[in-house]
Amino acid sequence: MTTVVERTEAPSTTRNGRGLLGLLLVAAPVLLMVWLIMWPIISAIIGTFWIEGADGSHRLSIESYAFFFTDQYSLDNLYITLWTTVVTAVLLLAICLPIAIYLRFAKGALPAYVQGLAIFPMFVPSIILAYAFIRTIGPNGTVDIMLNAVGLPKIRSPYLTPWGPVIGLVWDHIPLTVLILLSGLGSVSTQSVDAARDVGAGRLEVFWYILLPRIGNSILVALSFAVLGIFSAFTLPYVLGPAAPEMMGPFMQRTFRDVGDPLAATTQAVIAFGFCIVFGIFYVRSVAKNRGGAR
Amino acid sequence: MKRRELLLAGAAAAGATLLPRVAFAEANRIDVYTSSDANITDFWANTIIPGFQKANPGLTVNWVDAGDGAGLNAIGDRTLAAFQTKKDPQADYFESYDPNLPKGGLEAGLWTDISKAGLSNYSKVNPLAIQTGFDLPYRGSQVLLAFDTTKLPADQAPKTWEDLVAWIKANPGQFIYNRPDKGGSGGNFVRRVIHQANGKDPSKFTTSNYTPEFGEQTLTPAWAILNDLAPSLYEKGAYTSGNTQSIQLLAQSVVTMVPVWSDQILQAIDQAVLPETTGLVQLTDLALCGGFSRSTIPVNAANHDAALKLADYLLTEEVQSAILTELGGFPGVSWDYISEDLRNKFADIVPKTIPTFPGGDWEKAINDGWYRNVAPNIDRNA
Repeated sequence: MTTVVERTEAPSTTRNGRGLLGLLLVAAPVLLMVWLIMWPIISAIIGTFWIEGADGSHRLSIESYAFFFTDQYSLDNLYITLWTTVVTAVLLLAICLPIAIYLRFAKGALPAYVQGLAIFPMFVPSIILAYAFIRTIGPNGTVDIMLNAVGLPKIRSPYLTPWGPVIGLVWDHIPLTVLILLSGLGSVSTQSVDAARDVGAGRLEVFWYILLPRIGNSILVALSFAVLGIFSAFTLPYVLGPAAPEMMGPFMQRTFRDVGDPLAATTQAVIAFGFCIVFGIFYVRSVAKNRGGAR
Repeated sequence: MKRRELLLAGAAAAGATLLPRVAFAEANRIDVYTSSDANITDFWANTIIPGFQKANPGLTVNWVDAGDGAGLNAIGDRTLAAFQTKKDPQADYFESYDPNLPKGGLEAGLWTDISKAGLSNYSKVNPLAIQTGFDLPYRGSQVLLAFDTTKLPADQAPKTWEDLVAWIKANPGQFIYNRPDKGGSGGNFVRRVIHQANGKDPSKFTTSNYTPEFGEQTLTPAWAILNDLAPSLYEKGAYTSGNTQSIQLLAQSVVTMVPVWSDQILQAIDQAVLPETTGLVQLTDLALCGGFSRSTIPVNAANHDAALKLADYLLTEEVQSAILTELGGFPGVSWDYISEDLRNKFADIVPKTIPTFPGGDWEKAINDGWYRNVAPNIDRNA
């Protein structure tokens, strides 16, 4: 995640031997990626178009995709996944940006504790998180008990509604988002903020004209990571979410194992991949832009 | 140089983990696969496994949780594939499985005919529980309705389907069942509705009579009944994601009534997860589905003899009494082989009939049909 702000030297190409060694060094991870990631993706895409019939013969067809995009149930599931992704991403930014700015500019001992607290969710497995949420904000949970103690009405619990996974996913993704934004804010010099203050800029103006232009890239990277994580989320939507519509993660798993329809499950996976790759491209472009600028 | 050596050693170790490993079943270790809930795992870990290993020194039991029915089917498929290629299936014993699965397995001779395997205790098995010789019914349980007697007095509890529907509609938000693929309590509630929609005749459904047309014809009216109930359920049509979560909602006093497995609820009351004021009721017009858990043993099991010894041990009075007292299930042996005081104590929960529902294609059709036709019917704005 720190690659965004890294300023690497252009590799030396003076001697052929060193170039070759470099290539050999990257060969292992690249081959591993081709074998474990690229190849499965390619075979999945081919497998959904080049369909194997019951008698073992193959034919070229888009029927699997045609079914997905004409099936209201599948479309509802895709829609709820996109909705959850957008809402969670917006909430994440709204929560993490103030935390990151505070951590960047605050002085003293307190920010260390705030940072510790913000990173804490990283160490909590999501299945434990899910059951903890049922206990606290679930029906008749801790929050309800406390509200009841002071004579207030119960909350309308988000458990088993689309808001359940949203709350869980926001909490789960806070650490990574804060860390990425914080690394982006590291490139903003304190002097530039002070200079702006000296000429009379208020808090909002400092944020809008000084901070935001510098960390735009980090925001994009943080969003890409969050979106990729949310799109493929499984545990939290499975335990906290409603029975229907399902998010793509539980939907794929159920189609594959329960319904026993690997073709439909692969098609769903390819469609989910299609959405994710857009954000992947954002990320790669922003990294490439950074590298290019450093030369 | 030291750093480089360390890196090389690390890379070699990492590489070694990527090499395909050839695994074999360990001698005298019985690999038992299950998809049952945690209470069954506890029962095996605390009662059956220690008792068996004590009675049979040198043999050990390796308890493997396959997760859910689909997970166990994958192990079944693997066992059949190993049978056809004459390899070691690495599975010796299926704690609860259907010998009609995987497709073609029974015809190919995959499963051991336990009735002819010479078990010393086989003659004790309850004749009513025997379906084929290829499975061993060693414990039974059934889905009941559990309710909170502080909110619904036991004498007013619904005892027929019509009463139940009337009660659910009169008390909106007080009933919930789990998604049918995530646990048998909700699954068998849905099956009870399917029976209701088809003349309360369980014999209409068999393992082999599923066709898409017959499924459509029999399931569509059941979806109509469930959709009619949905607005009166918890949150106007929410469904928990498992047996345990339903019990949790009952325990947190969120709902008044949920369908539950008899063994799970008796254990929950016993462990004070649920209070003594929890009531249990079974519908009298047609009971909710239940059945016997049937163990199967593949003929190609590497530890076949040991697996048969385990099967024989399960039928001993020691285990069968513990199924009643510790698990809250029904014994798989005839009641004559259970001690007299236990027989009297548990007379109430002993079922008179246990309707069943076939698995296989029906299960897929019911689960996916429910997700498509019933689950989306929820009005969140109301």
